[in-house]
Amino acid sequence: MILVGELSLWIALLMCVWSVTLSYAGGAMRRADLIASGERGLYAGFGFIVLASAGLWTALITSDFSLRYVASFTSANLPFVYKVSAFWGGQAGSMLFWCLILAGYSALATWSNRRRVRELMPWVTGTSALVLLFFIATTAIASNPFERLDWVPADGRGLNPQLQNPAMAIHPPMLYLGYVATAVPFAFAIAALVARRLDAEWLGAVRRWALVSWVFLTLGIVLGMWWAYVELGWGGYWMWDPVENASLLPWLTGTAFLHSIMIQEKRGMLRKWNVTLVVATFMLSVLGTFITRSGVIQSVHSFAQSAVGNWFAAFLILALVATIWLVSVRLKDLEAQAQLEAMISREAAFLYNNLVLVGIAFSVLWGTLFPIISEAVRGSKITVGESFFNSVNVPLGLLLLALTGIGPLIAWRKASVGNIQRQFAGPAAFGLITGAALFVLGIHKLYPLMTWTLSAFVTGTILQEFWKGVGARRKMYGENPVVALGRLVARNRRRYGGYVVHAGIVMLFAAFAGMAFKLEYDITLADGASYSAKDPYGRQWTFTNEGLSEFKALNREVVAIALRPTIDGRALPVITSEKRQHVDSRGSPTFQPSTEVGILVRNDMDVYVVLAGVVQKKAEIRVNFNPLVVWVWRGGVIMALGGLIVMWPQSEKRRRQGGYVAELAPAAEVATA
Amino acid sequence: MSEGRVIDRRAFVVAATGLGASAVAHAVTVGPLGAQQQPAANFAPMEQGAYRPTLRPDKPGATAKLSVDERDALEHRIKCQCGCILDVYTCRTTDFSCQVSPAMHRDVLRLVSGGYDAQEILDAFVQTFGEVALTEPKKEGFNWAGYFAPSVAIATGAVVITMLLRKRGAEARVLAESRAAHSPGSGVAAPGMSTDDLARLDRAMREDA
Repeated sequence: MILVGELSLWIALLMCVWSVTLSYAGGAMRRADLIASGERGLYAGFGFIVLASAGLWTALITSDFSLRYVASFTSANLPFVYKVSAFWGGQAGSMLFWCLILAGYSALATWSNRRRVRELMPWVTGTSALVLLFFIATTAIASNPFERLDWVPADGRGLNPQLQNPAMAIHPPMLYLGYVATAVPFAFAIAALVARRLDAEWLGAVRRWALVSWVFLTLGIVLGMWWAYVELGWGGYWMWDPVENASLLPWLTGTAFLHSIMIQEKRGMLRKWNVTLVVATFMLSVLGTFITRSGVIQSVHSFAQSAVGNWFAAFLILALVATIWLVSVRLKDLEAQAQLEAMISREAAFLYNNLVLVGIAFSVLWGTLFPIISEAVRGSKITVGESFFNSVNVPLGLLLLALTGIGPLIAWRKASVGNIQRQFAGPAAFGLITGAALFVLGIHKLYPLMTWTLSAFVTGTILQEFWKGVGARRKMYGENPVVALGRLVARNRRRYGGYVVHAGIVMLFAAFAGMAFKLEYDITLADGASYSAKDPYGRQWTFTNEGLSEFKALNREVVAIALRPTIDGRALPVITSEKRQHVDSRGSPTFQPSTEVGILVRNDMDVYVVLAGVVQKKAEIRVNFNPLVVWVWRGGVIMALGGLIVMWPQSEKRRRQGGYVAELAPAAEVATA
Repeated sequence: MSEGRVIDRRAFVVAATGLGASAVAHAVTVGPLGAQQQPAANFAPMEQGAYRPTLRPDKPGATAKLSVDERDALEHRIKCQCGCILDVYTCRTTDFSCQVSPAMHRDVLRLVSGGYDAQEILDAFVQTFGEVALTEPKKEGFNWAGYFAPSVAIATGAVVITMLLRKRGAEARVLAESRAAHSPGSGVAAPGMSTDDLARLDRAMREDA
């Protein structure tokens, strides 16, 4: 099966060469037979990549240590689920995983458009196959997971303990599904530029794939935050690590695109900008992969330095140059069909929204690359840490939060004073009253106070929109509130799904602000000893060491502490934190000791316990009180749910029945979100 | 398996600043593109030997100028040199397998008890490790570009969008007034201007914009 897998990888590469050549030739010569052959080449490429992946999975599951990859990332005693997830646990395997997803997406995009946008499809297929060709070539030549060892070790090195976490089994696939999906809109953009078809058909094809990418990136990023929080043990979920930043960059530009595409749909404007955003999102996905794999930037959880970085650098430069050239020769085709008319309009709000999103993306990219730039200019290394990113991005984030509330309430083209007064009076009052109440209650830190005030304002706008919509349906159709709400969302999926996403964003921001009040305590506790500490809400906690224990598990030796917490004298469930030393099947240590944090999850805050070590039979512990963390995960899920609502297919007839199609007059206060 | 070499930071800057051809050539010359990579672990290994002492003689009659909270806050501004990207405080309280952050912590304790203030302690660590010892760049010289470039770029974008909106808004108003004035039944005809003339004017104004 391994031989079949390796051979399949090379055959897939040849299939891509075939597909690129025939598709581009067919598109240029307008020959249907060549185009069809190019498409079949892509399908075949996908089939062979599936075979190659099956080969690697077989080797991983059967612990075939003759493969360097299997010996490097698994051991005989590794739990089954992590043998499966080891597929993307190392560089070579994750490259093949990229190929698998990219081939699947490309085949699906080609198949689902077999009767649509036919003028574009040869170029879409050719470009998809070209990108796939690059990834397969890089995998086969520079990072081959089927490379054999000269001798077969008795056992493998095992998977890094920090990857032996349920979140790590699903976080990378989600992220890859998001990253790779950006390639499809990119292929459509290139095709539309080549074929000079930058019309509504192009938008329709691109929009759904952009949403697929956005939903998976959202899930991947939030799962990554969760993994960092529960596994790395430093007490937070986001540290502006370059690899984290790499995942955020395409999400930001993708979000900007999903807003600006609405302006092109409604007004025929921002064509150049939308093409730029599609290309930028794909390039940033590749750049993120380059950052993760090249080793040019120090990161706590990047892959080791390798020659793969050279391939990505070359690909990025070539793709960028080719795309800039193509856009420059098609500038006339990208002229707007209408013009912006007023400062106070939905279009203007979306433009500022785009500015802020792209601005944040730029500042994140700038901060990530600045150590390299600084070293090149000054010759000395520097570190750009959390405080730098926060100082730039927190104000921008607040501006974005405000626009999240403002944008959907303003009419297209031009808003009247009456429109603004009617729409904003309630939510603004709700926000200001909430802010004043929080100030009176003792919240005096500027950024959290602003965040929660704006969160209340945006919540007010969302509730108002649902309230008005349900009210209108009840009046028109006599439905009860629950039915009215269900049908309102079902028949206006883009608009109300968008509001659900906004609700998730509000939840995230409110939770982020909570961390401004986190408290941490370093504690040394002997068995039976207690320690008292106050939480951010002023409540008295006592932690009693119920004892250290040592035991062996399947592939590790464990030292664990059991802490009994009480809050204002009331007992709560025991929190356990572990120090683990992973071992191979012969009992030899495989990695450095790792920490398993203990978390007591509550709605108001997490109690986060880290057993840092044991010195002279006393436990060295760090206890964090992390306010509102659980709302980060809930917000992420709600955002993804909103994204699913938005992208769920809906017939044009239904959309019109739901009142989706917006009027363009100032009176169009019910225009889409 | 041959060991793959990596593109270095300067080379990447060259590539990123647009010298595409030289970068591609560089990527080729740095190492054979066909080179295999090392078995790639997902986490950077700790450099336990990265510690270097940061010691200063005690000041005469030295007393600690920093409280425990201030000392912990200071350690949040000093980066652990073990290869992680955590600060000294977070690293030493997270994982005892790191030997670098506890050693750096001991140096901080000695400097605090030796009568040094926060800035002097930061300067001492910079002397030992270079500016990479700080969790954020010093606010001086070229580093200002790091701090201000994003803000300047966004402010410029905001100004451009605002000016564009104002200009387009004014044009739209002129057009709307013109159309209203010359629409049938408005009672105000432009002397000597037909509907075609108005359409041409409309197009011309759009092209000018």
